[in-house]
Amino acid sequence: MRTEAAAAKNRGLKIGAILLLALGLALIAAILLGSEKLAFSDLSEQQQVILFDIRMPRIFLGACVGAALAVAGAGLQSLLRNPLAEPYLLGVSNGAALGTMLAFVFFESYEFSRPIFAFTGAGLATFTVYQMARSRMGMNAERLVLSGVIVTTFLSSVIVLLTSLLDATKLRSFTFWLLGDLSQATKNGFYLTLVVGIIGTLVMTSQARALNLMMIGERDAFDFGVETGRVRVIVFATASALVGTAVAASGSVGYVGLIVPHMIRMAVGSDNRLVIPFSAIAGAIFVVLADTVARTAIAPRELPVGAITALIGCPLFIYLLKRK
Amino acid sequence: MRKLALFLLAISIVFTGCSKQSAQKKETIPTREVTDDLGRKVNIPLKVNRAISLAPNLTENIFAVGAGHKLVGVTTFCDYPAEAKSIQKVGDTINPNMESVIALKPQIVFVSTASQMEAFTKTLEGNGIAVFVTDPNSLDAIYRNMEQLGEIFGTQDRAAQVTAEMKARLSAIREKVGGEAPVRVFVQISKTPLFAAGRESFITEMIEYSGAISVTRDIPAAYMKLSDETALAMNPEAIIIPAGAGNEDPHDVFRESAAVKNGKVFRVKADLLMRPSPRIIEGLEEAARALHPNSFK
Repeated sequence: MRTEAAAAKNRGLKIGAILLLALGLALIAAILLGSEKLAFSDLSEQQQVILFDIRMPRIFLGACVGAALAVAGAGLQSLLRNPLAEPYLLGVSNGAALGTMLAFVFFESYEFSRPIFAFTGAGLATFTVYQMARSRMGMNAERLVLSGVIVTTFLSSVIVLLTSLLDATKLRSFTFWLLGDLSQATKNGFYLTLVVGIIGTLVMTSQARALNLMMIGERDAFDFGVETGRVRVIVFATASALVGTAVAASGSVGYVGLIVPHMIRMAVGSDNRLVIPFSAIAGAIFVVLADTVARTAIAPRELPVGAITALIGCPLFIYLLKRK
Repeated sequence: MRKLALFLLAISIVFTGCSKQSAQKKETIPTREVTDDLGRKVNIPLKVNRAISLAPNLTENIFAVGAGHKLVGVTTFCDYPAEAKSIQKVGDTINPNMESVIALKPQIVFVSTASQMEAFTKTLEGNGIAVFVTDPNSLDAIYRNMEQLGEIFGTQDRAAQVTAEMKARLSAIREKVGGEAPVRVFVQISKTPLFAAGRESFITEMIEYSGAISVTRDIPAAYMKLSDETALAMNPEAIIIPAGAGNEDPHDVFRESAAVKNGKVFRVKADLLMRPSPRIIEGLEEAARALHPNSFK
């Protein structure tokens, strides 16, 4: 028994090391590739600006966004005991997107109104979906996904309604941003995503033990001394904060929260103490690589990164489902 | 069930009655055939008195050839000349309201894109309304558009006069800046996200008449989101901003560019540069003056 646990721990550590190595490689690849070829041995002044002011901030923001979305997905999936719980499918991303839009329309000059509104929007959407999905008999998977779809569609239609009231220039910046676009990020947006990403991952990991027990069933977890109500509030709030800041910085990058935790679970099993931090690393890798494709595929033109993550994420998800 | 059947029968009688009536009306009006930019043969009345324009530049062009008073409907985007503002609105260019269009009983509707055409042609032609597709996207195309409109509205003389004036003003500009080395400009279509005009955009060709060459002229697209890195590396000598809401200042990546450092950032009202109409000459003149101030002394 003991040796088995030790072996699992060993395996976990090994996979963690591999993931960190992969993240390092992904970051290096992302730094080397771009629409402009850089002479790294001898950077001109202009190339230094391109590398340090444009390319690297964008890559690191992508990593933070990927980590935030994957951690939010991992947490929600365990809490709701539903493999389909994902920020995008549950309406959390759209709630954040609508919040950001409202902030943009009414408080354009206050940059920090966007993440705050995004967080509020994400929180409200999560709460609504959760309340809709709950019934006297508890919560079942179909109800949850259905509620998510309803809230997502409703929020989408409000977003469409709002965009048709905007003028053409603002509309263009929104349609691109809605698909997930890392190029519109600001320095402040990056710092905020970084700080919230780190704190969010730590908080979510701190709940891993409780989430493990809750996956067996909320009743059993309660009997083991888990304050299920408190865990639920913490996970929902953390997920909303993570998704809110990520969306405010880069729009709705879909499928990260779905695909990444699943892949991690296939590799290390369902222990959230590993799944949550590893999802953060893998999420960062996924978005950094997807954005590298978005930046270089048709350079010097650019694609929205959300289109790439969906393009990779959908077939990958179908493959994983079938293999299982 | 029987009631429903009777109701449907009644309705179908009313409708066939209507369509017969309109068919009869159509036959009594003598028509002629014109060819639009897609090569479609369009039947229009000999004398056109009621027209609708679904694009701001077409509205401008119709006014320019002296047929503005024949317009009974325009889009919410149509804001020039001032008279256009008081014409009944039928929605915007992307989403015109079909009911309003039909209710205004136009004889011809001018549309500027093929996508619009596909969606509306059937409905409109079914109602005996001609659809004329025209999307002038070069200087020659604007001249041709003037001719077409003059012919349709019977104002050929006025159209010829406008075209001649445009040509004269343009050759005056070219004379002044012709000897100068063209300035490498970046035309900033939108600031966030950073959009540029590529090879297939008419503005790329147009701007060359003002003694400039667009740094994004070789990119194979009309308009595209441009990579910040490439934009910075292009280091344009001047930036021309078709100015409008949200597009007033150069994008941050140009902070260290020659254009910004030398104060060569020029704003020209977006309507003067982005609408293929006679006013484009004004826009080009403004750009030429800004880029080559010495030639205009």
